[in-house]
Amino acid sequence: MRTDVVRVYKSVHTWTGIVTGLILFIAFYAGALTMFKEPLDRWIAPPAPVSTAGLEKGSELIDGALALRPEAATGFSLVLAEGNGRPLHVTWERMRNDPDPWSAILAPDGSVEVTQLDPAGIGLLVDIVHRTAGVPGDLDLGTAVTGIASALYVVALVSGVIILLPSLVKDFLVLRVGRNLKRMWLDAHNVVGIVSLPFHIVMALSAVVFGLHDQFYDTLNEVVYEGRMRTVIEGSSPMRTLKRDPRPAAMLPPAEILARVKAFEPGFAPASLQYQGYGTGGALVRVWGADPRYLVRREGFLLMSAATGAVVDTEYMPGHQGTWSSAVSAFFSLHFGSFGGGTVRWGYFFLGLAGAFLFYSGNLLWIESRRKTERRHGGLVAQSRSTALMAAGTVGVSLGCIAGLSLTIAAGKWLHGAVEDLNGWHHGVYYAVFLGACVWAFVRGAARAGVELLWATAAATAAIPATTLLAGLLPGLGLWVSDSLGVDLVALAGALVFAWMARANARRIRQGPADSVWSGRRLRLEEAAGTAD
Amino acid sequence: MPDDLSSHTPTPAPVSASEPADAIRPDWWSKSLGGVILGFTLAVALSGVFAWAGPGGAQALNKYQFNMWMLAPIWLGIVSFCFLFRSGRDCWTWLGGANLAAYAALYVCRALFR
Repeated sequence: MRTDVVRVYKSVHTWTGIVTGLILFIAFYAGALTMFKEPLDRWIAPPAPVSTAGLEKGSELIDGALALRPEAATGFSLVLAEGNGRPLHVTWERMRNDPDPWSAILAPDGSVEVTQLDPAGIGLLVDIVHRTAGVPGDLDLGTAVTGIASALYVVALVSGVIILLPSLVKDFLVLRVGRNLKRMWLDAHNVVGIVSLPFHIVMALSAVVFGLHDQFYDTLNEVVYEGRMRTVIEGSSPMRTLKRDPRPAAMLPPAEILARVKAFEPGFAPASLQYQGYGTGGALVRVWGADPRYLVRREGFLLMSAATGAVVDTEYMPGHQGTWSSAVSAFFSLHFGSFGGGTVRWGYFFLGLAGAFLFYSGNLLWIESRRKTERRHGGLVAQSRSTALMAAGTVGVSLGCIAGLSLTIAAGKWLHGAVEDLNGWHHGVYYAVFLGACVWAFVRGAARAGVELLWATAAATAAIPATTLLAGLLPGLGLWVSDSLGVDLVALAGALVFAWMARANARRIRQGPADSVWSGRRLRLEEAAGTAD
Repeated sequence: MPDDLSSHTPTPAPVSASEPADAIRPDWWSKSLGGVILGFTLAVALSGVFAWAGPGGAQALNKYQFNMWMLAPIWLGIVSFCFLFRSGRDCWTWLGGANLAAYAALYVCRALFR
C-alpha cells in the first residue's frame, strides 16, 4: 500500500471516527440491550393477571372487549399465550408506537377485564435510545442523526481497513499487552474491528437505510419514478387486490384461522392475530409469527380474510415471499438478529458491546495520539484543552448512557404503581442520569470523573439484581420477582466488570504517568500551582 | 505502518523521500463534497437504471424497496473510495462523467421500458 494512500485514509478515519464515535457508542450499547427487550419488559412487569382462557375462547374475548371498548374495532390484535409470558389477550393502541397500549383478558369468571398492558415501556425506551442515540424530541430527527452518523461510520470502516491493510498480516490477532498502553489499545481496537467487520458493515449500511429511507424514497420518487412512486408502492401493497366491503359479516373463529395457517405452512409458529375492520365482509387478519428457517424481519405475517379464511397475500410470509421481498427481509433480519434463535441473539448482544468498545477505544486512541510527552526533568506538561475536553466527553457520554439505562430499568420496578406516567418517568430517569454524568465529567475532569462515574455505573447496574434480591427477601416492600432472571445475572456480571474497571482506573490515576489526561498526579500538581499563584 | 495516528490536520501531503512523485493530494473539501454529492446522484441514477431495466422492470412486486436499499452501498462506497482520486479535480471530473453517462442511461431506459 502506498504511503500517501495510508496517510490520506488515516485522516479520513480520524475525522469520521471522532465525529461519530460517541453517537455510535450509544447506538451500539442500547442496541445490544434491544436484543433482550422482551425479558427487560418482563423483568419490570408485575405478575400477569390470571386467565386460563384458551384459544377456543378467542371470539368470546374479542366480542367482549369490543363491546366494552368499541373504539378498538378499527384495529386490534389477539395475542396468543405461547411465548409471550402473558395469557391470551386482546390489545390495541391509541397511536403508533404507543408505549402503554390497552389490553383485555378473559377473567376466570368469564368477564372481560380491561387494563393498561405495559405502563413501563422500557423495551420501547431502549429501542428509541438505540435508534436516536438519545437525541430528544422528534423520532424522525433522531433517526436522521443516527442515519448520517452511520453513513460516516461506513467511511470510517473502509478507511480503517485501508490503513490496517499494510500491517494486517504482521499485526493480525496480536495483542501486545505491556508497558506501551497505547500499543495495546490500538491492537485491541484493530482486533475487534477486523474480527467483527462483517457485522459492522451490515449494521452501518442498514442503519443508513433505516435513518434516511424517507429522503431516499423521496429522491427516487422524483428522479427515477417520475413522481409516480405512490402507485408503484400501492401496486406492491399486500392489500392491492382488495375491495372495500363494510357490510356486516360473520368472522371465522381464531382457532379456525390458525388451523388454516397451519395447513398452509406447518413450519410457521403464530404469535398474534392482527385484525382490521373486524365484523365486516372486508375484514382482514395478519397472522404474525416466526419461522426460524428463514431470514425475516422481526416477524413475518400471512394476510388472510377474517371472514372467509382465504389467503390474501404472502409477500411477508417466511418462505413464501417473492424475490425482492425476501431479499429486503434478509437485510432487516441481519440488522435485527431475528434469525437463528438464542445463539444469534447472544452473539449480536456481545458483538454490540464489542462495537461500543470499538468506538470508546477509538476515542482513547485519538486522545493518546495527541498526548504531549513529559521530558525527563522537564517539569509539568499541560495537555491540550481539546484532549482534556474529548476525554471528559467520552467518559461522560458513554458512562452516562450505561448508568442511565441501568438505573431506569431498576427504577421501573420501584416506581411501578407509585407514579402516574411510568413511561415518562423512565425517560426522565435516563436523561437525568445521562446529562448529570456529562456535566459531572466536565466539571471534575476526565481522570477523577472516570473513576467516580464507573463506580456510579457499577452501582446503578447492581441495583437491578439488588432489586430482585430485595423483592425475594422482603415481600413487604410490594416488589415482585420476575421470571426473567437472566436480566439479573447479566446485570450482576456487568456491575462486577464496571467495579473492576473503576479499581483499575483508580490505580492508573494514582500510579500512571503524570503526562496524561488520566493522571491524578497532574491534577494535584495543577491545583498546587493554582494555589501558589 | 507508522506508530502515530496524529495526522489529524488536513495539511497538503508533504513530499518526503518515501513518497511517490505522483502522490495523491488530500484536497479534503473538493473530494468530500464530490464524493457525497456526485456519489449520491450517481447512486440514484444507477438504482434507477436497475429499477427500469433490471430484472422484473419497474413494477415488480416490492422491487422498489430493494432499489432504495441499493443506494446506501453504492453511495457510501463512492464516498469511501473517492479519496483515492489523485486530486479533487480528478474526483469531480470522473464522477461528473459517470453521472452524465448514468443519467443518459436512465433516460433511455425510462423511455424504452415505460
